[in-house]
Amino acid sequence: MLVDNLELILFSILASFMLGGTTTMLLAKQTLYSAFGFLVAMLALAGLFGLLDNRFLGVAQVMVSVGAIVVLSMLSILTINAKADALPKEPFKYLWVFLSMIIVSPFTFLLYKMLITLPHHFAKGENVSAKVMGSVLFKEWVLPFELISILLLTAMLGAILIAKKKTKGEHS
Amino acid sequence: MSPDLFFLLASILFSMGLVGIISRKNLFVIYMSIELMLSSINLILATLSRVLGDGGPSVIALLLVGVIAAEAALFLAIIVHLYRESKTLDADRYNDLSEVS
Amino acid sequence: MLSLIVTIPFFSSLLIGLIYLSNTETKRNTLYTIFGVGSIFLTTLLSLFTLAESLGGAPTLHETLFNWITLGEFKINLAFMADHLSVVMISFITFIGLLIHIYAAGYMKDEEGYGKFFAYFNLFMGSMLLLVLADNPIIMFVGWELVGLSSYLLIGFYHQNSDNIKAANKAFLLNRVGDFGFIMALAILFVSLEWTGFTYDAIAANIDILDHQTLTLVGILLFVGAMGKSAQIPLYVWLPDAMAGPTPVSALIHAATMVTAGVYMVARFSFIYELIPNVGLFIAYVGAVSALFAAIIASFQSDIKKILAYSTMSQLGYMFIAVGLGAYSSGIFHVFTHAFFKALLFMGAGAVIIAMHHEQDIFKMGGLKKHLKLVFITMFIATLAISGLPPFAGFFSKDAIIVAAFNSEHYALWAMATLTAGLTAFYMFRMLFSVFYAKAKEQKELHSLTRSMTYPLVVLAFGATFSGFLGVSEVYGGSDIFGTFLSLGDLKITLPHSTEYMIAAFNVSLATIGMIIAYKMFAQEAKEANTKNILIKIAVEKFYIDEIYEFLILKPLLLLSRFIANVIDPKLFDGFINTLVWIYLSLAKLFLKLQNGNVRSYAFYIITGVSAMSLFLIFKLGVVL
Repeated sequence: MLVDNLELILFSILASFMLGGTTTMLLAKQTLYSAFGFLVAMLALAGLFGLLDNRFLGVAQVMVSVGAIVVLSMLSILTINAKADALPKEPFKYLWVFLSMIIVSPFTFLLYKMLITLPHHFAKGENVSAKVMGSVLFKEWVLPFELISILLLTAMLGAILIAKKKTKGEHS
Repeated sequence: MSPDLFFLLASILFSMGLVGIISRKNLFVIYMSIELMLSSINLILATLSRVLGDGGPSVIALLLVGVIAAEAALFLAIIVHLYRESKTLDADRYNDLSEVS
Repeated sequence: MLSLIVTIPFFSSLLIGLIYLSNTETKRNTLYTIFGVGSIFLTTLLSLFTLAESLGGAPTLHETLFNWITLGEFKINLAFMADHLSVVMISFITFIGLLIHIYAAGYMKDEEGYGKFFAYFNLFMGSMLLLVLADNPIIMFVGWELVGLSSYLLIGFYHQNSDNIKAANKAFLLNRVGDFGFIMALAILFVSLEWTGFTYDAIAANIDILDHQTLTLVGILLFVGAMGKSAQIPLYVWLPDAMAGPTPVSALIHAATMVTAGVYMVARFSFIYELIPNVGLFIAYVGAVSALFAAIIASFQSDIKKILAYSTMSQLGYMFIAVGLGAYSSGIFHVFTHAFFKALLFMGAGAVIIAMHHEQDIFKMGGLKKHLKLVFITMFIATLAISGLPPFAGFFSKDAIIVAAFNSEHYALWAMATLTAGLTAFYMFRMLFSVFYAKAKEQKELHSLTRSMTYPLVVLAFGATFSGFLGVSEVYGGSDIFGTFLSLGDLKITLPHSTEYMIAAFNVSLATIGMIIAYKMFAQEAKEANTKNILIKIAVEKFYIDEIYEFLILKPLLLLSRFIANVIDPKLFDGFINTLVWIYLSLAKLFLKLQNGNVRSYAFYIITGVSAMSLFLIFKLGVVL
C-alpha cells in the first residue's frame, strides 16, 4: 500500500515542481528567471518519465532537453544580455495571463476528457527498457530515425546561416 | 496510480504553454512555452507507452526529442538574428503583415 | 394576296436600307428608285385588283400570316381583313402614294440620303397598309405605332438642323400622349370582353357585353388616340412643326394618309360609336372647333407649307364632324377627296419651293403664273376643290358633311362648319393669289422642275376634279356609289331637298365671297397682315398655344424633374446607399484593427475560436465533469 502511495507522493512532488517551474516561467520579469523555471520543469518531467518506468526516455530528456536546450537558451540569454529597456514592456501581464487561462480552459477540459477515454490501467508485464526501445527503433522506426539525423544536420546548417554576422555586401 | 493523473497534468501543461504564447511578449518566453507544449506531448506519449505495454510510443517520443533539439537550434538562431536587427526582444515589434502602416 | 400588299413595301424598305447602309456614299439613285417606286407600283396594282374583285361582289377577304400570341384559347394572329372600307382605303392610299413616290424621285434627286429616304418612305407605306388591313385592333395598333415611327424618321430627315430633330420629337411625343389613351381603351375593351375573341368581327358580335359606361370610356379614350394622330385640339401642335420634313413627306403623311388614320379608326369602330351618340357629339364638336381654329390661324400664316398644314387640320376637323355625327361614309368620302387635292396642293407647293430655290414665304413670291403654268393650273383646280366650289370634288364631300351637321339640329356645329368653309376659301385663295398673281418682289432665275415632279400633278388634278362624282348624293340625282359601297351604318338625313339646296347655295356663295375678298386683298400686291391690331397679333402668333403649353406643362415637368434629380435622387436614394456603404466601411475599419500584423494576436484569435468550439462540443455532447 505504501508502494502505491509512494508513487502518488512522488507524483505529487514532481507535479508541484513542474507546475511551480511553469508558473515562474510564465510570470517572471527577467528572462533568466524564466529560464530557471523552465529548467526546473524539464527536470521534473525527467523525473516523471522515470516514474513511468521509462528510464531511457528520462535520461534522454535530461541529456537533450536540459543539457542542450536549456543550457543553450541560457547561453543565448546571457550573451544577448538585454538591458531593461530592450525588454518589452508588459503592463498588463498578470491580467493577460489570467484571461488567457480562462479562455483556454474549455479546450483543456475537452482535451482531458478525450484523453481519459483511453484505457485506465497500466499494463502488467514488461516495462519498456532500453533493449525493447532499441529493437523497436531499429526495426520499425529506422526510416524516421535516419530522417531525424538529416533534419538535425539541416537545422545545424540553418542555425549557423541565420545567426551569422553580416559581412559587407551580403544581404540578410 | 492511474494514467488519468498523468493525462490531467499533460493537459494542464499544454494549456499553460498556450497561455504563455498568448500573454507574453518576450521572445524567449514564447520560445520556452512552445517547448513546454512539445514536452507535454512527450509526457502523453510516455504514459501511453506504459498503458499499452508497447515500445512504439516511446520511440516516437524519442524521435520527438530529436525534433525538439533541431527546432531549438533554429529558434535561438532566429532570436539572436532578430535581436541584432532591432535591438529589442519585443514580439509585437514585428507586424509587417499588418495592412495599416 | 393581302399579305403581299403589306409585306412588299416592308421588304423593299429593308432591302433599300441594307443596300444603303452597305455604302452610304455611292450614288445609286436609279437602283433605289427602281426598288422604292417599283414596290409601290406593284402594291398599287394588287390593291386595285382587290378593289375590282370587291366591286365585282366578292365577300370580305380574310388572310392570316401567322399566329402571334396565344394565351390559352385566345389567339392574336397577324391577319388581314379586306372589307369594303379597307379596300377603299388601300386603293387610294396606294394610288396617291405611288404618285407621291414618283414625285419624290424628282424632288429628292439631289439629296445625299436618297436611299435612306426611300427606305423610310416604303416603311411608312407598309405600316399604313398594315394599319388599314389589320383584322384586330392589336395589329392595327402595331401599324399605328409604326406610322408614328416613320413620321418621326421622315420629319427629322434633314437631321443636320437641330430644329428639325425637335420637330420630329414633338410629333412623336404628342403621338405618344394620344397612344396612351388608345392603349387604355384597348385594355379596357379587352378586359371587358372576357376572352370572347379580339378580332373586329368578334368584338362587333359581342359588344353587347359591355355596359354603357364602359363603352363611353372606351369611345373617349380611342378618340384621344385619334386626337394625337389626326392633329385635333389639343394635341395638334406637332403638325405645323412637322413641315420641317421634305415636302413629299408632308404630302403623303401629313395630308393624305397618316393623319386620316384617326378618322379610319372611328369608322372602323363604328359599331361602338353607334351605341354612344354622346361621345360622337363630343367628337363632332372637337372637330368643328379644331376646324374653325385652324382656319383662323391659316388666314394669317405666311409660310406656304404651314398654311397647308393648318388647312389639313381644318379639313380633318370636318371629317371628325362627319364620323362623330354618325355619317361615316361622308367622313371617309371626304378623306378620299381630300387626299387628292391636299396631296396636289402640297406637291405643287413643293414644286414652287424648289423653283424658288427653297424659299417658303409666300410674300416673297409672286407672279409665278407666267413661269410655272402647269403648276399654276393644277393648284388652281385644287384650290377650287378645297373651297368647295362645284363641280369639283370638295363640293360634294363638304356639302354632305355640312348637311349632316344641319340635320343633327346642333346648329352650333353647322354654323362653325359653314364659317370655316368661307374662311377656307379665303385663306386658300389668299395663298394662291400671293404666290401666282401678285407683283413679284424680286426677279429670280427659277430652278427647273423635272417631269417626274409635274406629271403626277396632272393625274391628281384629274382626281380632284372628278373623284367627287363617286359620291354624289341623291339630292343631286346621283346614287352615291361610294357610300353604298362602303355600307357602314350611316345615319339618315331627314331634311327636305329644298333645305339641302339652300344650305349648299349658302356655302357656295360664302366660298365665292371669300375668294373675291382674297382677290381684292392679295392679287395686286400681297403683303403680310398688319400686326398693330392686338387681335390680329394673337392670330398671327397662333394664339400663343405653343407658349401656353410650354408654360403649363413643360415647365412644371422640367421643374419636377430637376427637383427629383437634384434633391430626391442624391438625398434619398444616394443617401440611403451611402449610409449602407458607410456602415460597411466602419465595420471594415473595425475589422482592420484586428489585422494588426501581430502573430500573437492571431494566435489569440485561433485559441479563442478553438475554445468556443470546445465549449460548444462540451455542451452539445453533454460531457460532464
